Amino acid sequence: MAELTLDDVTKVFTEDDGNEITAVDEVSVDIEDGEFLVLVGPSGCGKSTTLRMIAGLETITTGEIRLAGRRINEKPPAERDIAMVFQSYALYPHMTVQQNMSFGLEESTEMNDDEIESKVADTAELMEIKELLDRKPSDLSGGQQQRVALGRAIVRAPEAFLMDEPLSNLDAKLRATMRTELQRIQDDLDVTTVYVTHDQTEAMTMGDRIAILNDGILQQVGTPLECYHTPNNRFVAGFIGDPSMNFFEMDVDGETLVIDRFEYPLKPAQQEAISGRSDVVFGIRPEDIRIKEPGGLSDNYQFEVTVDVVEPRGDENTIHLTFDRSVDDPVTFTATVSGLRNISAGDEVVATFPPDSIHLFDTDSGVAVHNRTFDSEDATHQVL
Amino acid sequence: MSTETGRAGERTLFGHSWRRIVLYLVLIGMGAFYLIPIETGLMTSIISPETYSGNFPYLPPLEPLVPGTGELSIEPWRGAIDGLGQGLVNSVILVVPATILSGLLGSMAAFGLTTISWRGQIGIYILFVAGIFIPYQAVLVPLTQFWYNVVPLRAAFEPLAALPLVETYHWKLLALIITHTAYGLPICTLLFRAHYKKLSDEMVEAAQLDGASVATIYRRIILPLSIPMFAVVFIYQFTQIWNDLLFALTIVQFGDAAVVTQDLVGIGVSQSGTNFPLRMAAALLAALPTLLVYIFFGDKFAKGVAA
Repeated sequence: MAELTLDDVTKVFTEDDGNEITAVDEVSVDIEDGEFLVLVGPSGCGKSTTLRMIAGLETITTGEIRLAGRRINEKPPAERDIAMVFQSYALYPHMTVQQNMSFGLEESTEMNDDEIESKVADTAELMEIKELLDRKPSDLSGGQQQRVALGRAIVRAPEAFLMDEPLSNLDAKLRATMRTELQRIQDDLDVTTVYVTHDQTEAMTMGDRIAILNDGILQQVGTPLECYHTPNNRFVAGFIGDPSMNFFEMDVDGETLVIDRFEYPLKPAQQEAISGRSDVVFGIRPEDIRIKEPGGLSDNYQFEVTVDVVEPRGDENTIHLTFDRSVDDPVTFTATVSGLRNISAGDEVVATFPPDSIHLFDTDSGVAVHNRTFDSEDATHQVL
Repeated sequence: MSTETGRAGERTLFGHSWRRIVLYLVLIGMGAFYLIPIETGLMTSIISPETYSGNFPYLPPLEPLVPGTGELSIEPWRGAIDGLGQGLVNSVILVVPATILSGLLGSMAAFGLTTISWRGQIGIYILFVAGIFIPYQAVLVPLTQFWYNVVPLRAAFEPLAALPLVETYHWKLLALIITHTAYGLPICTLLFRAHYKKLSDEMVEAAQLDGASVATIYRRIILPLSIPMFAVVFIYQFTQIWNDLLFALTIVQFGDAAVVTQDLVGIGVSQSGTNFPLRMAAALLAALPTLLVYIFFGDKFAKGVAA
């Protein structure tokens, strides 16, 4: 068990025609001993390449990766003492579960057969796969193969775990169960873990911290709530959270933001944050928007809108709202309301954008210039 | 009309649809077409040479068989075993190692060219592929020169001849083993490479992370997963090498090291005419090992082809 450091790690691929593609661009992260870091981003953002560089399956173009303070750039994968769980599980099809789990110990340690057998038995017990030890991977269900793949990584007691979308081949229900179980196991074993996923739900729910990558560039590293409430930029704000944050590209007119369909008055601190700008991107999360029955606007943060589509989810409804249904390109946004509220398409309602919940981003760079009120000390209180 | 055995509206004969009946007739016809030459050979091979007339060779031999006894003649088979015995032994000495070697080396080469990635491997692979297209005829003279004049294999082999069961003339078989291995290597590599490309890269990477060296990955992961392909390659190479005559004529030329195909050429032919029963028995005897290989490895072969 050890801390893992990525220091300005860059990966440049050279294509056959000589074109150079930077897959990972100067990524630096410190992963503490025993920490669970989730590396999240859209497809092709370089997250898997980063993981493969840590594993030693890809060379590092520039930068340095250190495990327990020692540089591992030049070490072959076999000598890094790192275990990896692959998306496809990558079990050895001709070996039984027992042999699959023993293989790493046989190849990388000096243990004798009895020690290996007892270690495998212990891990099999932990993973609840004891009765599967004599079976071959082809006789196992996807969920069971997943457990064996995890068991194969755990049994080696490596310095660090790397997981490359390990849950993406499971059905939704099993995925939710394994998510919890994986967290429990990681907590028990206290092994430094880097977990790659494109699923922001997994990132939010599993990680001690999450690192968001886009186009090979690290966007933000922080606790899930930090990334959720105080995103560094528009990309993070839009990527984390489901349904996504609403964005409006607005012009600055003195103390208010203006767009064709509505105007939004700013508080003094917000005005200060955007001083000197002529336009800005306004963002607000769907669950921060409050919806009430029509009947008079009591302040300037309220707007009369029409319900366009309702997506019931049971516990809550996602509703798509529009300022004006009749025009060709209506400005629409989403809000979430309690699943018990009776709202249907075509209803006229009043939406409130509370001023302490709004985010403002630079139009060109997307950098956050103002984030919602969020005190990480109160974080637990706020989510309750 | 019956709707129980055939589709509704289909005409039937005794409850079987015409479609089925035609299919079986065609299958029986094809079976007969393929089997009659073998059956003819078999029938001919149990006729006494003295009574062989050449009429209706596919019919079972009629009286008189062996004149005076009324028994089937085993004389042609006895003659074939006598005439081909040495050649059969030489062929086995040649074919078994050459088949195993070309399969094993082909598998290793394919592993090195497919699963492991290194600079320049495509160039090397192209050389392998080019090897498939070098015609036998183009290498006949160089081969003779190589084994008789360039490489002093004969002299180097002399000390080994002192060992039990080893004869001096075996050096020619060794030369033939090396030649067939080299010539079979490209096609074996190609077959194994197609198989290895389908194996999961992640599995090999998992083995690397598990601490396995390149050699260990081959021995413990790739080799066990190659067994169906080995069946294909072994059957193919066995048949190729067993049936080869050209390289044997070029390298062995004549003498004690002659293989079964060389012996088969001359057996039963003399100035007084052709001994057909003997030739048929010899042909069947020479073909027997390849038949046995197909029978014993056929199911694995099918699995490997389908894999």
